[in-house]
Amino acid sequence: MKNKYIFGGIIVAVFLTLMIYLFTQTNVQYESDFTKVMEKGRTVKATGSWVKEKNYEIDKVNKTFSFFMRDEKGNEMKVVCPGTIPNNFESATSVVVTGEYTNGYFAAKDILTKCPSKYESPNKSS
Amino acid sequence: MIGNLILSLALAFSIFSMIMYVFTFRGARNTLGIARLSYHAMTMLVITASVYLSFNIITHNYEFDYIYNYSNDQLSLGMLLSTFWAGQEGSFLLWVLFAALIGVFLQSYTSKREDLEPTVMFSYTAVVSFLLLMVSPLLKTPFAYLWANEIYIEAAKINQQFLSLSILQPFLMSDGQSGQFYVKVNKELYSLLAGQGIEFNTFIIQGKGLNPLLQNFWMQIHPPILFAGFALATVPYAFAISALMKNYYKDWVKQSFPWSLGAGGVLGLGIMLGGYWAYGVLGWGGYWAWDPVENSSLIPWIILVAVIHTMIVQRKEQKQGKEIGRFAKTNLILSITAFVLVIYSTFLTRSGILGDSSVHSFVDPGSLVYLFLVIFLLTFLIAGVGLVIYRWKNLSDEHNANENIWSRELSLFNAALILLASAIIVFFGTSAPIFGVTVEISFYDEMHIPLAIVMLILNALSLVLKWKETEGKEIFKGLRLSLVLTLVFAILFIFVAGVKDFMMILLGVSAAFAFFINVEICIKVVAKNFKKIGSYLSHIGIAIFVLGVIGSGAYSKHADVDLVKGEKQNVLVYDMVFTGYEPFENNTKYRFNVVVTDGSDKKVVSPVMYISDFNQSMMREPDIVEGFTNDIYISPVGYEDNEGSSSGQEIIKINPGEEKVAGEKIIVRYVDFIKPDMTVMAQGGDFEMGANVIVQYEDKIEEIRLVSRKSGEGLTNIPVEIKALGAVLTLNHIDPMTKAAEIIFQKQAEQPQGQNVKKEVLSIQASIKPFVSLVWIGVFFTVLGFIIAMIKRSKEE
Repeated sequence: MKNKYIFGGIIVAVFLTLMIYLFTQTNVQYESDFTKVMEKGRTVKATGSWVKEKNYEIDKVNKTFSFFMRDEKGNEMKVVCPGTIPNNFESATSVVVTGEYTNGYFAAKDILTKCPSKYESPNKSS
Repeated sequence: MIGNLILSLALAFSIFSMIMYVFTFRGARNTLGIARLSYHAMTMLVITASVYLSFNIITHNYEFDYIYNYSNDQLSLGMLLSTFWAGQEGSFLLWVLFAALIGVFLQSYTSKREDLEPTVMFSYTAVVSFLLLMVSPLLKTPFAYLWANEIYIEAAKINQQFLSLSILQPFLMSDGQSGQFYVKVNKELYSLLAGQGIEFNTFIIQGKGLNPLLQNFWMQIHPPILFAGFALATVPYAFAISALMKNYYKDWVKQSFPWSLGAGGVLGLGIMLGGYWAYGVLGWGGYWAWDPVENSSLIPWIILVAVIHTMIVQRKEQKQGKEIGRFAKTNLILSITAFVLVIYSTFLTRSGILGDSSVHSFVDPGSLVYLFLVIFLLTFLIAGVGLVIYRWKNLSDEHNANENIWSRELSLFNAALILLASAIIVFFGTSAPIFGVTVEISFYDEMHIPLAIVMLILNALSLVLKWKETEGKEIFKGLRLSLVLTLVFAILFIFVAGVKDFMMILLGVSAAFAFFINVEICIKVVAKNFKKIGSYLSHIGIAIFVLGVIGSGAYSKHADVDLVKGEKQNVLVYDMVFTGYEPFENNTKYRFNVVVTDGSDKKVVSPVMYISDFNQSMMREPDIVEGFTNDIYISPVGYEDNEGSSSGQEIIKINPGEEKVAGEKIIVRYVDFIKPDMTVMAQGGDFEMGANVIVQYEDKIEEIRLVSRKSGEGLTNIPVEIKALGAVLTLNHIDPMTKAAEIIFQKQAEQPQGQNVKKEVLSIQASIKPFVSLVWIGVFFTVLGFIIAMIKRSKEE
């Protein structure tokens, strides 16, 4: 009887250790301050908005596209993403890119665009 | 008004029914009939509310905020009906509808079984009441009026004949940045309009429309099935609470069992239909992305599957004469957990807490809804767990503890344990964003590969195990044939298919092992008793599914290529030629045809690109050639002809007296506004308004009239062609107040002339996904197995 619990306990412990270990290996933190994104040199999820005035560029040779992102404090950085501009990119209110800051730009592996809330009213002047 | 009244009444009846069921449980004699009547009244009201919402959607009654936000006049009937569940409010109502309807069957089922009804229906109506509270006027009713809160609506969505009304003028605004015109809609405007005898739904004549990503067949089928699954998951919870309330555990397992199977089957189907949608239409590139929305409905499903396994043991022991049987606590806790996790899933996806971490965009519903969802979650969690703790000591027989490792009981328990581990992993990863971190997809993949291997081997072995204990010799005898077949498979898998990754070999071989042994035993068992086929089918399905996941997940090949029109190019292993594009759906969308040649076999793949009016974005839809061994998946990236990126269409915003340049050298001058005949307009007659425009190109000058013509119900913009320029001008919108106009300038496509042939280039992402077909076949068998087992078990007792 006692053995059963010890055996079961060991399995649970191994499972949890493995899970927590893998969790620490694969977890990615959100970062909305680009100065920290640039310092860290590790994979983060940078959140900010697309600088529309600077448009985006498509690099047909390397199959990437690049654009500028701005954080809440107004810091800007260049982001290079693989593949194609996602659906909804032009109308996105905020952008989340996952990747690492190297060689003067943010090399994104993944991009996520958030669309304007359905209930937001546009800022008006009459 | 009517809608909210119906829903409020339904809520009242639901709560009343719940109270009457409590009285009945407490021994009151004449309350059962009232409880039933109230329940059915509630159901009728919920049906009425749903019909009322659908009716308003079909008749385009945009005075409802919900209908304005999710539909418009252009949607087809099928799509229009599916806007019912396009937003939070409606999808909650859909959930309520399914819950109410399933409750009718549950009431009839429980009423035939001794004193089961009061307790089961009490907890069930408690859930329904909470759901109804969610769609009540206090929280997220789908019947809120558009004007109840102040919002800005594009002037184009307003009936143009009212734009010149004097009372409207203070409400007209223009956005400095975009030049768009808006109408401020609020209660004040509503009462002013009402004072003029103008009905609000004749004032607003167009809605925002449905997100183009949702405009397809899967939108019509995936959410209803998922919500039916959610509603069904309430039933095992209600049975568990009922057993705990009565402190009687003999019958609940067998009664709850078919319902748990039904919930598992329907929820599983709903989840995978979502996967197919993501794969085939949304262009995610795969069927599963470990996205929070997918994960959160997967977790309760895994728990339901786990409890199905341990219920079998308790049921078996009860059949052999035990009063309670083993795993009573496990079964109760898991049945409760499954439902609580459904609420948790709702909390994660509806409270706005996952804001940044999902491809699904969430509307932040406000702190009241957040709080409500927390209370909803805690109520049913505390009630369930509290009751289990309260009854803890009554929950086990004195049992003989001589367990054998080689027994079916233990392997069923282990199955539940592995599923539980999987649920914990997904739960952990999905909940991480609450604490500001997320996990990468590899977290889920790497944790699940070993779990899946153990799960498959265990499933295979458990089939040759007997209840209580099994002799080693017998185990080997039962396995002989399958072991030989698995060995053959392993050789083919490694040497012919060329799989080299060690974990993938283990996973593939254990899936094959589970497959062969399930088929073998299935044939033997089914020959004697066909009804038992259910569980074998499900396990065969899972084994096939895993093989499909290995092929499509680990061995997909991918290439980014530019295809020049008419030039053959070798991509991956196929020859591909881009043959040109064709417009469809009134020239709003474009199909880009690519001929894929595989040996002698030719197929046309047509991914789609278009600019959506809904969000002014480029939308891309992949196209797939589905085959048994391979799917060829082509998603469009972009299209260019070498004349530059201009699509030939331009929108010019211009004010009277202004001059703008269109195309390269064409000057458009807005001379004056063509005023509509106000008296005719006020009487609702036909009129024209627009702009006199001068178009100048080099030395050619032409004066044209661009007008919007109102005749009967509709407003049409008349295009004007200027042959000398090869261009068409159309008025897009004109504001009768400020006279500002939007003109669409369209250059007609030039025919390639002489040597100056256009070079058209289509960029695509192409991938080959081996054996995706097995994923769908596997899911089909699994779900079929659930349904057959459910039917068998419901007839059993």
